[in-house]
Amino acid sequence: MRRLAGLTLAAWILASAPGLAQPVVVASKIDTEGALLGNLIAVALTQSGIPVTRRIQLGPTEIVRKAIMAGQIDVYPEYTGNGRTFFRRETDPVWRDAERGYETVRALDLQQNRLVWLAPAPADNTWAIAVRGDLASAEKLSTLGDFAHYVLAGGAVKLAGSAEFVSSPGALPAFQAAYGFKLRRSQLLVLAAGDTAATIRAAAEGTSGVNSAMAYGTDGALAVLGLVALADDKKVQVVYRPAPVIRALVLERYPDIRRLLELVFARLSLETLRKLNARIAVEGFDAKSVAADFLAAAPVTAK
Amino acid sequence: MIELSNVVKTYAGRRIVDGVSLTVKRGEVCALIGSSGSGKSTTLKMINRLVEMTSGTIRVGGEDIERLPPEMLRRRIGYVIQSVGLFPHWTVEENIATVPRLLNWPQPRIAERVRELLGLLRLDAREYAGKYPHQLSGGQQQRVGVARALAADPDILLMDEPFGALDPITRGEMHAEFAHIHETTKKTILFVTHDMDEALELADELAVMEHGRIVQFGSPRQILDRPATEFVHDLIGMSQIGLKRLAVQRVAERMRPGEPAPGDAIDASATLKDALSRMIERHTDRLAVRDEAGRVAGAIRLADLVA
Amino acid sequence: MNVPGNKVLLLLWLVGAAAICLTGFVTHAPNRLVSGEPLPLWTVAGPAALGLFAALGAVLIVAAFLAPNRTPHFAVGVAAAMLLLLALAIAGEAATALLVPDHPAARTSLGPAFWIVELAATLIIVDAVQRRRTGPLMRLLVALVVSGAVGLLMVSGRLDALSILREFATHRDTFAVEFGRHCLLVLAALVPAVVIGAPLGVAAARRAGLRQGVFAVLNVVQTIPSVAVFGLLIAPLSALAARVPALAALGVQGIGAAPAIFALIMYALLPVVRNTEAGISGVDPAVVDAANGMGFTPRQVFWRVEVPLAMPVVLAGVRVVLVQTIGLAAVAALIGAGGLGAFIFQGLGQYAVDLILLGAVPTILLALAADLVMRTAIDLAGGTGRTS
Repeated sequence: MRRLAGLTLAAWILASAPGLAQPVVVASKIDTEGALLGNLIAVALTQSGIPVTRRIQLGPTEIVRKAIMAGQIDVYPEYTGNGRTFFRRETDPVWRDAERGYETVRALDLQQNRLVWLAPAPADNTWAIAVRGDLASAEKLSTLGDFAHYVLAGGAVKLAGSAEFVSSPGALPAFQAAYGFKLRRSQLLVLAAGDTAATIRAAAEGTSGVNSAMAYGTDGALAVLGLVALADDKKVQVVYRPAPVIRALVLERYPDIRRLLELVFARLSLETLRKLNARIAVEGFDAKSVAADFLAAAPVTAK
Repeated sequence: MIELSNVVKTYAGRRIVDGVSLTVKRGEVCALIGSSGSGKSTTLKMINRLVEMTSGTIRVGGEDIERLPPEMLRRRIGYVIQSVGLFPHWTVEENIATVPRLLNWPQPRIAERVRELLGLLRLDAREYAGKYPHQLSGGQQQRVGVARALAADPDILLMDEPFGALDPITRGEMHAEFAHIHETTKKTILFVTHDMDEALELADELAVMEHGRIVQFGSPRQILDRPATEFVHDLIGMSQIGLKRLAVQRVAERMRPGEPAPGDAIDASATLKDALSRMIERHTDRLAVRDEAGRVAGAIRLADLVA
Repeated sequence: MNVPGNKVLLLLWLVGAAAICLTGFVTHAPNRLVSGEPLPLWTVAGPAALGLFAALGAVLIVAAFLAPNRTPHFAVGVAAAMLLLLALAIAGEAATALLVPDHPAARTSLGPAFWIVELAATLIIVDAVQRRRTGPLMRLLVALVVSGAVGLLMVSGRLDALSILREFATHRDTFAVEFGRHCLLVLAALVPAVVIGAPLGVAAARRAGLRQGVFAVLNVVQTIPSVAVFGLLIAPLSALAARVPALAALGVQGIGAAPAIFALIMYALLPVVRNTEAGISGVDPAVVDAANGMGFTPRQVFWRVEVPLAMPVVLAGVRVVLVQTIGLAAVAALIGAGGLGAFIFQGLGQYAVDLILLGAVPTILLALAADLVMRTAIDLAGGTGRTS
């Protein structure tokens, strides 16, 4: 009996002792891109012999963020632009600059939460307005400036967007202010939830006369559904560059992770992300195999 | 057999039972009668300690009831209530076997006893043993209730308005059963009722209660002939006192042995009231009388009833 | 006008027929995101299948007009079951036929007509079983036979081209994990709810003051939206886990299974307490009086008389709680507890209806199965017609 107690105690101590061959808990947010990036991280780590526990698609941003702060997960892909809300700096213009935004959030998270932001992907994901392909070619629309001219000239427009997109000062109002156009209420179709899948689908099918939609730069569905994302040449939007966020403690335990993930994320351009997202969201392949295939084509090692 | 000495029960400042002293001799049937609120049910329940008395002594079979744990006491006392309270999830047989099982009787003895009691209560064992209470009529349920109370051969039987929930015809049958059971088992029985006619018919002695006290104790004849107070008087209902007197006497007491009479015979154990009723029915002033064995033993005349 | 025969059967037949005529049996879409084109039954079913379908439909409509005491319930049930399986097979064949080799993203989904026909067929079977007054074991057998047949169809691979099964194939290993997690969540909530709730119910039955207090609290708890409870529990449980590391080591954390289970237990308490209280209070006082008078000790009265008599009502409460918890556990995925709800929420985010169904359909089936098993158990336990 005492031996059993002693063994249990020893096991308990060992289990809570840091760093003894403990698997790295890889998590992600619940959306498609989260699944993709999370799986990329997990596959890359596993291929290098680091033990991994997966909690991919754990939940929405708040849940995942709380989890890493509580130490329940070790690494997950986050977006630089989200530093705005994490650190309550909504009006700071630094977030519109990809580089400076990354530097700011990296410094703040390391200092306040002992979380390390690793090298981001070169994909400047932002909120965008996408229009139907036929509209874009008919009216020669490729930037938001073109769109503004079209609207001001009285062109037929119905934009589908979430309530947040339509009212948040950093979203549609910022576009309107910078490019000089204003959409009337009758030209908007406001959805409750924030998902671009619904808005994109509405534009693609012309539901209720919708011919433009809120979208993300890396949405995989755009090309497939015949929509064109309009370029934000005035750089109005907050830039959301994906980057792995890892607990400092875990990084100390496995320092190779830094180089590994830097190599992986360096290959993720906006185009690449779109293509990979499309394979999951539109063609229905599962994120794990899409990630594995992508890395198998050109494996990464830390050395 | 049952002795109550100055038993008092106080509840919320009121004396529900106010110094009751009562003796029931072995083998006798005693009725506790009164209107509602007279304390008769409470008195009964103090005997098997379902209600704990405030002061006084109660002895059963000479033993002070306080000396035993209540459950042990109750297993030696048969208890029958108005709503019967058969266990719905057990068969008739299992219901009757309740107390013997509590007393850990061996199974064969229990089975034997159940058969015996079903016979005593005139229920066909083959038909009824396996039935569930909800499949029985009210009268049959109460028969099982009585059988259950008698199962462990208790010293005494306490009955709390046992026939109150039955229709008049069934109640009449049960009264006859009661007499038969008492004769066969010779148990000491104390029963509570508010029905004076029932008390007069079934009991050897009556204890009339009012406001928690016994106001008169005596045989049915004594109560009828000399009601002690106006309350007793009213309880009896003096309007048909003559008929009530007839109801407490048997044909056997007044018959003329050997005398012939025409027509169907009446049992010698029937009451004089029954005899009168039958004479009126048949427009005759004479009835043949038969004994227990069913043979014609004599006759009774109208004149005998008023003698 | 008094229509003779089986009105329920007639109504279900009409609803099914209307659905087939008016809506698509399957829908075909070029990819996962866009809405599909509805295809009616007659365009996707082969002539033999269509003929069999019509024949079975004819059997049912004829049976609907027979007088109730002459309706061949067994035949009706068999015909409806065959229809159910046939519809599934037709849908599977249609999906296989519509597969386009160089467009792997193309999807064939089950359309409204399919779902309505399946629902109607199931209800017809249920109706036939009830009218024939089959015993509990027979009912269970019927359910097992029909589910077994559906399972065989799935295993045979004939349904694999359907979009919902393609989603399943994509998520196969995660599905097993989440299904297991879902069941664990339900059990982890149900057992404590009964262990806490049953004694609480007994106490509430005995003391009027306690009863009022307990039900007041539990009623308020039930009205709080579940999503809110899950969210509200995060902060206190995180704080608790931070303060007491031993709890964290055990897995009690702010997110994940712990708050989900805690919330599920809270919601499960009311039905358990309410039914236990009703069961114990519902025991005829005369029976308890007699039991006391016979010489049972209070403990014996409780275990040998009150508990067996209260059992059917208590078990009915457990049945309700089981079904409720299976459904509610789907929300747990919102706070990272996993379970079948994970697919529902992923599907909602990606606007992929089949992914939503991948989470919703098994949850519904699990709840139905649990309900049937509990009813069978209750019927077998209380089958001697005991009432208090």
